[in-house]
Amino acid sequence: MRLKSQLPSHKAIVKNDQTSHCLPRPIPPTFERNERPPMRKTVRLTWLSLWLFATGVVSFTTISLAADLPSADAPIEQVIDQFINERLETEKVTPAPQADDLNLLRRLSLDLAGRIPTSAEAQAFAANTSPTKRVELVDRLLASPDFPLHQRNELDRLLLAHKPNDGEFRKYLLWATQQNRPWDAMFRDMLIGSEADENQKGALTFVKSRARELDDLTNDTASLFFGVNVSCAKCHDHPLAQDWKQDHFYGMTSFFSRTYLTKKNLLAEKQVGEVKFSTKKEGQKQAAFLFLTGATISEPMVERTKEQLKEFDEVVKKQTQEDNAPPPEKPSFSPREKLVEVALRAEDNRFFARNCVNRIWAQFFSRGIVDPVDQMHSANPPTHPELLDWLTRDLVAHNYDMKRLIRGIALSQTYSRSSEWTSGEQPSAAIYAVVKVKPLTPRQYALSLHMAAYNPTQWPAADQPDKWAQRREQLENTANGWSNMFEVPGEGFQVAIDEALLFTNNKRIEDEFLRDSGDRLVGYLKTLSDNSALIDAAFWSVNSRPPRDEERAALNDYLQKHSTDRLVAIRQIVWALLTSPELRVCF
Amino acid sequence: MNPGSFFCGSADHGVNRRGFLSAAALGTAGTFAADMTQLDLLRHSAWADDVKKKEKRVILLWLAGGASQFETWDPKPGRPTGGPFRAIQTASSGVQISELMPKMAARMQTTAIIRSLNTKNGDHGGGSSLMETGRRKDPGIDYPDLGALCAKELGRIDSAVPDYVSLYSSTEGRRKGTSGFLGARYAPMFLSENMVPENVRRLETISDIDHQDRAALRDLLAKRFAQNRTSDVIGSHTNAYQRVRGLMASEKLFDIEQEPEAMRAKYGPTQFGQQCLIARRLVEAGVPFVKVARAWWDSHGQNFETHRELCADLDHSMAVLLDDLKDRGLLEHTLVLTFGEFGRTPQINPSLGRDHFASAWSASLSGCGVKGGACYGKTDPDGHTVAEGEASAGDLFATILTALGIDPHKEYTLGARPVPLSDFGSKPIKEVLA
Repeated sequence: MRLKSQLPSHKAIVKNDQTSHCLPRPIPPTFERNERPPMRKTVRLTWLSLWLFATGVVSFTTISLAADLPSADAPIEQVIDQFINERLETEKVTPAPQADDLNLLRRLSLDLAGRIPTSAEAQAFAANTSPTKRVELVDRLLASPDFPLHQRNELDRLLLAHKPNDGEFRKYLLWATQQNRPWDAMFRDMLIGSEADENQKGALTFVKSRARELDDLTNDTASLFFGVNVSCAKCHDHPLAQDWKQDHFYGMTSFFSRTYLTKKNLLAEKQVGEVKFSTKKEGQKQAAFLFLTGATISEPMVERTKEQLKEFDEVVKKQTQEDNAPPPEKPSFSPREKLVEVALRAEDNRFFARNCVNRIWAQFFSRGIVDPVDQMHSANPPTHPELLDWLTRDLVAHNYDMKRLIRGIALSQTYSRSSEWTSGEQPSAAIYAVVKVKPLTPRQYALSLHMAAYNPTQWPAADQPDKWAQRREQLENTANGWSNMFEVPGEGFQVAIDEALLFTNNKRIEDEFLRDSGDRLVGYLKTLSDNSALIDAAFWSVNSRPPRDEERAALNDYLQKHSTDRLVAIRQIVWALLTSPELRVCF
Repeated sequence: MNPGSFFCGSADHGVNRRGFLSAAALGTAGTFAADMTQLDLLRHSAWADDVKKKEKRVILLWLAGGASQFETWDPKPGRPTGGPFRAIQTASSGVQISELMPKMAARMQTTAIIRSLNTKNGDHGGGSSLMETGRRKDPGIDYPDLGALCAKELGRIDSAVPDYVSLYSSTEGRRKGTSGFLGARYAPMFLSENMVPENVRRLETISDIDHQDRAALRDLLAKRFAQNRTSDVIGSHTNAYQRVRGLMASEKLFDIEQEPEAMRAKYGPTQFGQQCLIARRLVEAGVPFVKVARAWWDSHGQNFETHRELCADLDHSMAVLLDDLKDRGLLEHTLVLTFGEFGRTPQINPSLGRDHFASAWSASLSGCGVKGGACYGKTDPDGHTVAEGEASAGDLFATILTALGIDPHKEYTLGARPVPLSDFGSKPIKEVLA
């Protein structure tokens, strides 16, 4: 949908700015921690109004956003289901039924622990008759050593996609996820952490790895922390989102333009420096320290003599060229520090807080409540605006506690629906009638392959948490190398032919996953003389479930047809299970 | 039914053709070991030969390091910048090229030259990226290269051959290529260690029967799982495994021993020549895009000796390749390109070298969709600047895509952002198009 032609010209916006729908006001007011927003009685947003709004027919200011938000004390999962179900009712869609226990166990293990369950875990969960077993499972997984490792991997993939496996950064992230460090504190660590602090030092890799590419630093920060891709507004005002002007792109840039790396790879900021840019209409312009909300920061005016300016240049020259320069001094005015300050303060934190909710939501549901996740602007409204509001308020009120939000998502009925749709054409993913199949990340896949191909009787028992922690650490290290062989899934991900060729014809696959030593699944299966027991064990190990009748029959046939060499037949069966899409995705 | 009637020559027939072949593939997918069927189908039926001939493909001869336009397509004999070589008349009246390219001069009717590229980036990394993707880098967007674009636009989803093969002849200037936001599905099959792609050969530890049987068992399990689940990921997984046997069969395409001795002799003993022969075998089998990188043209010293050697190889290999494609009726549907990351300076430096130069340099296009013998654009008498018809990397890409019958202004949508196939504002150069 092209909006440009329907929008008034730039001039008209200026003249008319109280009523124009082009004002950057996509996002409702912010919330102070522990403070409830005033109740607002208004019209509920319908698809029609969203459409009217998105097409510019109706301006944002004529629709007040939400009906009364549910109580702040309501459980997160209940609020999620309430809003999702209301929308399904409006659309007259009956959602898919809840996934069965073992399907849900597998999904939760992958999403919270980054791996498939062991067959012992799966069998115990199937046998558990407690009515609260799901809550217990979620809490157990969130408290397990797996969770911080997995969450670290997810954040690493998100924040440092261009520089995979950076040791320092991963160390920081693990430290942060192990203590459930609040997202605002992590943002501070990553943007303005101290080089002297053992933990924060690694966090600064976020900036350091982009310090030589100002555009990337600007755009990645805006996109990853505020949900706003400003790159479209670099050369011209954003063509689709009237919110974003060149002023915003260069405003964001100005917070970073003084940042540089010293010869010793320390992060430093210059004392002075301004960003100029050319516009189509107004010629050369100097950028203000302008945040996305429209808030500007003014730098205290300081008169500098020519000598002082020259001296500043000398300092930078020394820092960037000499190995023995003293640690760089903090400037009297630090734009990066100001960015953190403005982005987190109550009157301007809406982008930061909403983006956090939206990114975590997308981690679990493969799409954001605002989707694409980096397009938070008025032409791209949320699918469930009140839900996003409520979750944002909750997140801020609870000190940016991401684990709390994750727990709520994991306990919702929306999350635990089946991924199978049997009644005709599948409805839009935006209404969450059915769970979307997700490709595993390279690490999830590498870990899961190793677990699936491992002798299922050799895992530490459930009552040995220390032993498990140790094994999990080892698995994580093993997965490091293997994960490089798989593609990191992005938008429109498709499995590459290279992957199928690798699994089909590569010796490493055979050596690692199909060998018949005592520690491998194949080694264990060859000790079983009963076909039925063998097939059961193979399915529980790889797919965390018993085989269906037709699957049991097919595997039994296979074993009988290839009875002259049972070991070879077992290998082929395990290969077929490992390479089935069931192990490749989270469903 | 006359199979020929599927291909009426209308602009739609690409779609019909694809639809038809997909339907054929689906029809055979019911039997699990049917993965070879398509290949056999293509090999044996007359209409399939017709299909294959009409499919458009590309061979990019990538001149890694930056070839000199003076010693190839835009000579300046007798000028201070011209160097020692003469210009010779080509088969196209009024067009002269360097005497280092005599065989191509005789075949100028197949080839068009663009002499007016001004791409502004004289850095190996930046220039390569620019000429590979046809646009400058943008924060937040990972653009696909020409090979990946063509793989997507010209390839068949269920193809039994690779979509994009990348060969190179020297570790210098070796660049794998990138499918960017199109994803690994369109990434090149990159031949790095030897001339056979990785993982296309069955391990000796498994018999061919077992190899097929386990694939059939896998398909059975996969099919059950895919029931009731609508997912591109699962679909692409199935598709990737379905293509495995076909790709394994394509191993022999990389084996030039399968060519008659006389044909191998024609291409000659150089590695570049042999790779050109592999490229011809690949496009003949339906591979839509093959890149053969020839290095290393970066002649900061001894430019003239370097070009005497490299141009001889280029001139010979390219000429034989064009002849061979023509003899097989493939040239009409195959676009052969030469360019690299940039050209070389007019100034001759004290080491008798020419340095990086992106302000006024040349590229060539031959075959499919090209107006043979055309020569577009002009540089000034000493080759310092473009005097006429300045063209950007985007314009070159728009021209290439148009020659292949692909709309260069077609857009992909990335998130909410429209991304045209060739850069915003680029225009095809009509003067070199048939």
